[in-house]
Amino acid sequence: MMKYPQRITLCGMGGQGIILSAVLLGTTAVTKANKYAVQTQSYGSEARGGQCQAELIIDEKPINSPVAQTKDLMLAMFQEAYSKYIDVLDPDGVLVYDPGLVTSLTKEIKHSYAVPATQIAVDLGSRMSANMVMLGFMSEALGIVSKEDLVATIKDNTNARFLEMNLKAVDAGIDYAKEHNLYYKD
Amino acid sequence: MPMTKAMENRVKTGVHFMLGNYALVEGAISAGCDFFGGYPITPANEISEMMAKRLPQVGGKFVQGEDELCSIYACAGAALAGAKAMTATASAGYNYMQEGLGYCYTIEAPVVIADVQRCRGENYASQADVMQMRWGASGDYEAIVVCPSSVQELYDYTIWAFNLAEEYRNPVIIMSETTIALMRERLDIPRAESIDIFNRRYTTLSPEEYKPFAAEPFGCPDAAPLGKGYHTIYSLNPHNEVGSIDWDPDEFDRLYKRITGKIRENRKKICRTESFYMDDADYGIIAYGSEVRPAVEAAQMARESGIKVGVLKLCNVWPVPEEQIAQLAGNVQKIFAVEMNIGKYAGEIERVVAGRCPVQRVTKNRGLVHTPSEIYDAIKEGVR
Repeated sequence: MMKYPQRITLCGMGGQGIILSAVLLGTTAVTKANKYAVQTQSYGSEARGGQCQAELIIDEKPINSPVAQTKDLMLAMFQEAYSKYIDVLDPDGVLVYDPGLVTSLTKEIKHSYAVPATQIAVDLGSRMSANMVMLGFMSEALGIVSKEDLVATIKDNTNARFLEMNLKAVDAGIDYAKEHNLYYKD
Repeated sequence: MPMTKAMENRVKTGVHFMLGNYALVEGAISAGCDFFGGYPITPANEISEMMAKRLPQVGGKFVQGEDELCSIYACAGAALAGAKAMTATASAGYNYMQEGLGYCYTIEAPVVIADVQRCRGENYASQADVMQMRWGASGDYEAIVVCPSSVQELYDYTIWAFNLAEEYRNPVIIMSETTIALMRERLDIPRAESIDIFNRRYTTLSPEEYKPFAAEPFGCPDAAPLGKGYHTIYSLNPHNEVGSIDWDPDEFDRLYKRITGKIRENRKKICRTESFYMDDADYGIIAYGSEVRPAVEAAQMARESGIKVGVLKLCNVWPVPEEQIAQLAGNVQKIFAVEMNIGKYAGEIERVVAGRCPVQRVTKNRGLVHTPSEIYDAIKEGVR
């Protein structure tokens, strides 16, 4: 379990559901686990394909500065985004990345987890669900939110058409952590 | 007050993780807002979008104007007709609203205006409109401008803004910023019955006895219900107590002394500030809006290195919380005036401080909110 405050950046390509992932994590932390969270974002004007980044801070007490200068956790789902934001990740922090899309790692990070989320999602039948695989993985491996809380938030916020696939993808992320025994230890 | 179905729809009691612009809408709806007139502009669009969804749920009306002028005048009309009316725009759009805003000040229409400040056409952070919010419209008036610093305060201060507008029959401006408007954060919405709501005072006089602009010298006139036989000319021109256009210098003098005096003479009642780490502070930071957040963190950093710094947060910038600023100036060796523009409100702080202690401007105009380290570095430099 990572300690608080958890200063998180999620980055990737527009269309991968990066910002949604940050919103779901923040919503879970606040409305299910009674934590404090603040989320900001930046993205290009492209609907899909440009780089995008969401920042999220989760804490047990109210948060002052909305943007952290150093991050404890980075989720990287696209090479260019990784390269742009990796500098702000604490070397003692946590990196979760999709090895199919982030192929050139340039910084040693103490806790690094390669999660082929896009491939897992494609195998499940929906490339769009890669972000849900990552959320499931981070819930299981890092414990930033509980599985029950995460699933409840997804149920509250997901169109019925996509719900089943999303929950399947969350489970696949959890299974990936279990099968490969990938658990965060400080 | 017993809970009614309408109140339940208005107040979404509970814990939320909400976008700042949406929190402002929920604050407005909780305060009783039932009219919104607006014209699209980023980063205020989510306000219009959510108003269009929420107002019909509570029996309110949403109007998209053909431009900003139409929107502010629609609000003026709605407010006179008894609605709690608001509009929302962003810097460039706020420019366009000045004429209508000036009209609202003069006819004493209780309209709430959110200006989600942005940087020159883009969604970057800024507090560069702080003077326009005070002086944007022509003519004599006093502005009330509240400055939330978080998603929670976007909710809370919007309720406060509506209450002030109703109490003083004056436009009230919510100084929002890209920073907080497009941020998601924890929002605790209280139970409806615990929210204080102020509704404007209506006259008890008959239409024959009623004088629409009669009030104490620094008072606020009672409103009259529209459509019940009260006929009033709401004119931008100088007008007397019965509402006739009147160019008599004494009437003119009396009208504007009252319109400005009703705010100026109630300044202490209107102004709110909060203090952080102030009890033993040798130095003070003054900040407003989103800049309060890194300022508080900078004070913590300074204290860790042995410099006793406190923060005076201005919950409203206009009218100027003069007593609180003057008191701070008497208690500290130096004041750091933190803001996200080229240094504008610092001039007001310097005026009020009046040489009691030095004032150092800590400004940033790069489309980004200060980091705590930037403010801390300025303090370290400034206390040497």
